[in-house]
Amino acid sequence: MDSTQKISHLALDIGGTLIKLVYFSANGDYSEESRNGCSVVHGKLCFAKFETRKIDDCLEFIRFNILHHSGVQHPNGAAHDKLYVKATGGGAFKFADLFKEKLGILFDKEDEMHSLVGGVNFLLKTVPREAFTYLDGQKEFVEIDHNDLYPYLLVNIGSGVSMIKVDGDGKYERISGTSLGGGTFLGLGKLLTKCKSFDELLELSHHGNNRVIDMLVGDIYGGTDYSKIGLSSTAIASSFGKAISDGKELEDYQPEDVARSLLRMISNNIGQIAYLNALRFGLKRIFFGGFFIRGLEYTMDTISVAVHFW
Amino acid sequence: MVWYIIPKATGGGAFKFADLFKEKLGILFDKEDEMCSLVGGVNFLLKTVPREAFTYLDGQKKFVEIDHNDLYPYLLVNIGSGVSMIKVDGDGKYERISGTSLGGGTFLGLGKLLTKCKSFDELLELSHHGNNRVIDMLVGDIYGGTDYSKIGLSSTAIASSFGKAISDGKELEDYQPEDVARSLLRMISNNIGQIAYLNALRFGLKRIFFGGFFIRGLEYTMDTISVAVHFWSRGEAKAMFLRHEGFLGALGAFTSYNDQSLNDLKPHHHTVQRAILNCSGHNLRHIPVTSNLNESETIECSINLV
Repeated sequence: MDSTQKISHLALDIGGTLIKLVYFSANGDYSEESRNGCSVVHGKLCFAKFETRKIDDCLEFIRFNILHHSGVQHPNGAAHDKLYVKATGGGAFKFADLFKEKLGILFDKEDEMHSLVGGVNFLLKTVPREAFTYLDGQKEFVEIDHNDLYPYLLVNIGSGVSMIKVDGDGKYERISGTSLGGGTFLGLGKLLTKCKSFDELLELSHHGNNRVIDMLVGDIYGGTDYSKIGLSSTAIASSFGKAISDGKELEDYQPEDVARSLLRMISNNIGQIAYLNALRFGLKRIFFGGFFIRGLEYTMDTISVAVHFW
Repeated sequence: MVWYIIPKATGGGAFKFADLFKEKLGILFDKEDEMCSLVGGVNFLLKTVPREAFTYLDGQKKFVEIDHNDLYPYLLVNIGSGVSMIKVDGDGKYERISGTSLGGGTFLGLGKLLTKCKSFDELLELSHHGNNRVIDMLVGDIYGGTDYSKIGLSSTAIASSFGKAISDGKELEDYQPEDVARSLLRMISNNIGQIAYLNALRFGLKRIFFGGFFIRGLEYTMDTISVAVHFWSRGEAKAMFLRHEGFLGALGAFTSYNDQSLNDLKPHHHTVQRAILNCSGHNLRHIPVTSNLNESETIECSINLV
């Protein structure tokens, strides 16, 4: 990091699996006077993430890049001005003492749902080319009309999933959720394959074929569709259903196929529950957040299809 | 002249195995639609057999008296390998409105891969002794022991199924299969309950009947599903279970013989009248499906042969 850049503002979202950091990095020491007498500092909003189970990495990052450069000494017992930092997510409670002890940072706690909604609204209103659709292999940025932003459904896919109906600035309600989220995908994925990380699992899934392990309508109906109820022969009747009768052990399956079926199962399920909740409240737009998707086309495609199909 | 026995057959196998039955047994399948049979089966049971449907709340099993004039509409959730959700508006009036691929097949398939179980009943038995908190990430785990009461989530609510497997540093072998089975059962049951409720809500349906061989009288499953439905609906919707849960399709096909036109010359043509359910007492016994004769589940009836 450029030593002339100071990091003066920082916020954390400490979740079940990941710690998300947003910090403002100023361009050098230059600051200009604005018309009303405030000084305006130009810079960048930067983003970083760490695994919650490796929280020391995050502490180290903050200590070196933020506290060190802004001239705040690590107390080591010495008294100093309290440094308040905005923090949200469950970890704002769970790790408050740890941050105070190790970095002398006091958490100014913000509600998790409130922060999520504030974040989406900020991005949609301020950042062009933030939201995009993914259909038929095509990514298309969506132009957001600020006067026609509400209401919408925010589906945040973290370790677990929260579904929040947003009616205005600061007007929202968590209407639903599901415990089959990113944590389930990674947790089951780790148990079923020898993967060590989320990205590794996603990479594996890229090369997999879900038809090996999923029971399709065609498998039950002997190759034909069940067109009477709109199910093609390739529609999945039962995720992981073939593992019952194959006579195979876990070791006999390709981890790519397992990862693919798992990803399809979780993505499709989230898409369906999201759709059912959007339908419930007449919401036409569903924004998907969280670090589950990571630009993976298969995931975006599965979710988009699930929402459109249902 | 060759005489063929022509029984009713439903489900996907009525298509897939038609040739096999003809070849091996000389049987020709008279195919009935799967959804039609399921609905026919439930309607037959609810109208003809007393003490068929029951609720399970707070550890209590309670039979439901069905008012034949107030039977429709209802939601039928059939949990087989996969799940079908059917809105039933009358005799023969139904529509498959939804489903999910996370069904009994998923539970058994994932269960077999994650434990060394060889059968569904073995997996259910294992789950009996498990503790889901070992492997599920709870709200309290994320929030450091507290509730997230602002949004109505207690510290013991599951935030992420199997979420602890991420950071525990354990391998599959390090987990107790009982705990894995328990978390799996909870995950599948809760998910089905939620999707069932959301669909019931969509169509204003207050009664949800659960069929299929997934439940098998297991209290934990019935409790999970009932809680999911009752919690999300604030008591508006009722989850109900059926004594002959897994035989809906077969019963529906069996009782569809009386729909035949009299011009069809088919042997074994019959109608079913006057049925009484033999109950072997009031306690809910877990009867393994491996036993082929369920004496306590027989239905006394008479059939008219045409």
